[in-house]
Amino acid sequence: MGISLVYLVLIVLIPLSMLFLKSATLSWGEFFSAVFSGRTLAAYKLTFGASFAAALLNAIFGFLVAWVLVRYRFPGKRLVDALVDMPFALPTAVAGISLTAIYSQNGWIGKLLVPFGIKAAFSPLGVVIALTFVGLPFVVRTLEPVLTEIDQEVEEAAASLGANRWQTFCRVIFPAVGPALFTGFALAFARALGEYGSVVFISGNMPFRTEIVPLLIMTKLEQYDYAGATAIALVMLVAAFSLLLVINLLQAWTRKRQALR
Amino acid sequence: MARTLNEPLWVRLLLIITVFLFLGLFLFLPMAAVFTGAFKKGITVYLKSLADPETFAAIRLTLLVAAITVPLNTIFGIAASWAIARFDFYGKNILLTLIDLPFTVSPVISGMIFVLLFGAQSAFGAWLIAHDIKIIFAVPGIVLATTFVTFPFVARELIPLMQSQGSDEEEAALTLGANGWQTFFRVTLPNIKWGLLYGVILCNARAMGEFGAVSVVSGHIRGATNTMPLQVEILYNEYNFAAAFAVSSLLMMLALVTLAVKSFIEWKSKSVSIRQMFEGGESA
Amino acid sequence: MSIEVQNITKIFGNFTALKDLSLHVPTGELVALLGPSGSGKTTLLRIIAGLETADAGTVLFHGEDVENKHVRKRKVGFVFQHYALFRHMNVFENVAFGLRVRARKKRPSENEIRERVHKLLNLVQLDRMAARFPSQLSGGQRQRVALARALAVEPKVLLLDEPFGSLDARVRRELRQWLRHLHDELHITSVFVTHDQEEALEVADRVVVMNEGRVEQVGTPDEVYHHPATPFVYNFLGNVNLFHARIEKGKAYIGELAIDLPHAQPDSESAMVYVRPHLLDISRARGENGDLRARVVHINLAGSIVKVELLSEKGDTIQVEISQERFSQLLLKKHEDVYVTPKEVRIFPQDYSI
Repeated sequence: MGISLVYLVLIVLIPLSMLFLKSATLSWGEFFSAVFSGRTLAAYKLTFGASFAAALLNAIFGFLVAWVLVRYRFPGKRLVDALVDMPFALPTAVAGISLTAIYSQNGWIGKLLVPFGIKAAFSPLGVVIALTFVGLPFVVRTLEPVLTEIDQEVEEAAASLGANRWQTFCRVIFPAVGPALFTGFALAFARALGEYGSVVFISGNMPFRTEIVPLLIMTKLEQYDYAGATAIALVMLVAAFSLLLVINLLQAWTRKRQALR
Repeated sequence: MARTLNEPLWVRLLLIITVFLFLGLFLFLPMAAVFTGAFKKGITVYLKSLADPETFAAIRLTLLVAAITVPLNTIFGIAASWAIARFDFYGKNILLTLIDLPFTVSPVISGMIFVLLFGAQSAFGAWLIAHDIKIIFAVPGIVLATTFVTFPFVARELIPLMQSQGSDEEEAALTLGANGWQTFFRVTLPNIKWGLLYGVILCNARAMGEFGAVSVVSGHIRGATNTMPLQVEILYNEYNFAAAFAVSSLLMMLALVTLAVKSFIEWKSKSVSIRQMFEGGESA
Repeated sequence: MSIEVQNITKIFGNFTALKDLSLHVPTGELVALLGPSGSGKTTLLRIIAGLETADAGTVLFHGEDVENKHVRKRKVGFVFQHYALFRHMNVFENVAFGLRVRARKKRPSENEIRERVHKLLNLVQLDRMAARFPSQLSGGQRQRVALARALAVEPKVLLLDEPFGSLDARVRRELRQWLRHLHDELHITSVFVTHDQEEALEVADRVVVMNEGRVEQVGTPDEVYHHPATPFVYNFLGNVNLFHARIEKGKAYIGELAIDLPHAQPDSESAMVYVRPHLLDISRARGENGDLRARVVHINLAGSIVKVELLSEKGDTIQVEISQERFSQLLLKKHEDVYVTPKEVRIFPQDYSI
């Protein structure tokens, strides 16, 4: 007990507190110029926008994947089930280079997109693709248990009361899994905000256009601009923590309301 | 019981096909791309790229880092989840949040905090330089950053498991005269072994594959502070794609093994819980 | 609306849940499907509702074949064993659900919905709880919400699956009387499933006793209790003593005891005699027919009757129920040897074993 606490303090708390100590040494002026410079603002916009789009994509398709895995039987189901966790297990750098290879102009998919004038890799779209990959398991894995738990009787009740399949889905199933869906969305979003490895390869890293915030932090570190890096990191950290707080509150709320039986 | 309430066949087929397309695009194609990229120039080039001394050093460093961080975090994970599941104490929720913390911190930031702590610009860093101890841009920094990033995996897996199992069996063992260690090895450990293994392999996968955090602290010294993912980056940026994908293919295989072990554990623990259900006489 | 079930067979894998079963439920009656678990009663109820499809046979509502009618269109109110309330909706919305999902043309206005839901909630005495969520209700209250919800769509048939199954004993008794009164008020053709014989006998107009996918007997509670058609029914409805007997020249013999048979039966070496505990008497003196000798093992005085457990010379346990009056006349003591006389018996040939 005591040892594990010491370990926690050494490995997590002291290093993390450095971030706050360091940022405390900044003057307001330094802080604001780092946090609100044009290049940083563009990076925020891209990071938050692409993360949001990716999380949204994951919410939609993750819901589908979870639904199909829980409800239907089909050949290859166990393989699909195992593969869903691939983004958890695969090093992000590997994901980054292979996604780049596929979606660049002479890649398997990128080639198909060129005639439509769509540039997947080295564009904001590429960032969205990488972030979608990275966040894919979150929605699926948070929804699966909730979908499994839905009582068949509840659906039968809806049908016996005259609801058709679509009404049952919209009014009974969807509201029941809504909180979990949002949790999965928020987790994918939070993960995307901090992602670095897979994005740096596919994005092209052009300042103002395809530069994400973690990369900007990295660049500032390499230029020994520790103050600037710290200030931006603090902003990202606060954003991630707020998201986490929202998730936890939401979960506590649904637990309280839906505790039945 | 038969589901009389189900979507029409065409809806089901449409949904299944959509899922296959989506996963094919995002999961299967990247996997295939790695292996085709690795073997594009033939097996000899593949083997030669792996035998490269720098790559070899990267593999060795990656294994070393995992060999240090995984046992450390495993021991911590068991201790922490045991304390959380068995005792009530002030600040338990804070402890839980702290354990989760590294999950929410961006890898880049995870690496950065160690630079802030040990880097040359900090007071502590200056002291280290004076005593000729290198942490940042050296192996210790890589180990520390990796430990931070992989910190929650084992504990996260074990805490819910141990909480749900309760302490009845352990108390029974103690009343039967077992001492603390006997209770742990004969009762506690067998009960949590699958969850533990699951946490350990996830921890290992992340430890070997971490990129962002390690990238910040490593300094990219070839043959010395490059882990496998960093080696992939360097080779890729040098347009040595065949070699980059060759190293990637090793990491991909690690991921596939991880997934296989995970599926095996899920299948195993599922069949265990079904058996327990029947033995307990709790039929549906 | 009457329900007619004709020659229904249902097979799950290699288990036959219903075997060529037919049943008639007259309009406006409250019918209990009674049987042990695995007797197929819930399956039958689900087939009537359209939640399950039969492998053979037909279901007619008011003479009309409903086989191709989806659950949604059958106008049945179904109350599920675990209530199946929508947990993200409050009580009001749960009850209003069936009205809200109607096609726009048939959907009542918001005012009408509100009025009807409140009327129903008043009926089930839960109007004060309209804004609560299912998680905030007791088991009995949830049950009543489930019932109000089923009634909201004005079903022609009300089907209840083990409606009181997951409630504790007291609430259960209260609710079943309440269900009886409710039915007397509404007169909807109702079928409920139960494995509790007391519940079936107390609430239903008519009891359908089921066993292994077949109907053993259909009758009023009085009929099935006092005139069981089969050994199974005899056994399932209340306690019973079983004796091996042989039949010879119009008389049944249990050891030395000879019983006159009410109607002629062929001679047999092995017949079963069924006697309810309250149809046995205890005496000190041996009767003229040569009574059963037995030893008193246990006496239970708690309750309106006295339950005496005896052991026959052959080693069979015999349960006898006598009135408190009779007991005080006899002044029975433990370990005493006495004689047991049946007042009324039922005899079935051996091969009707249970």
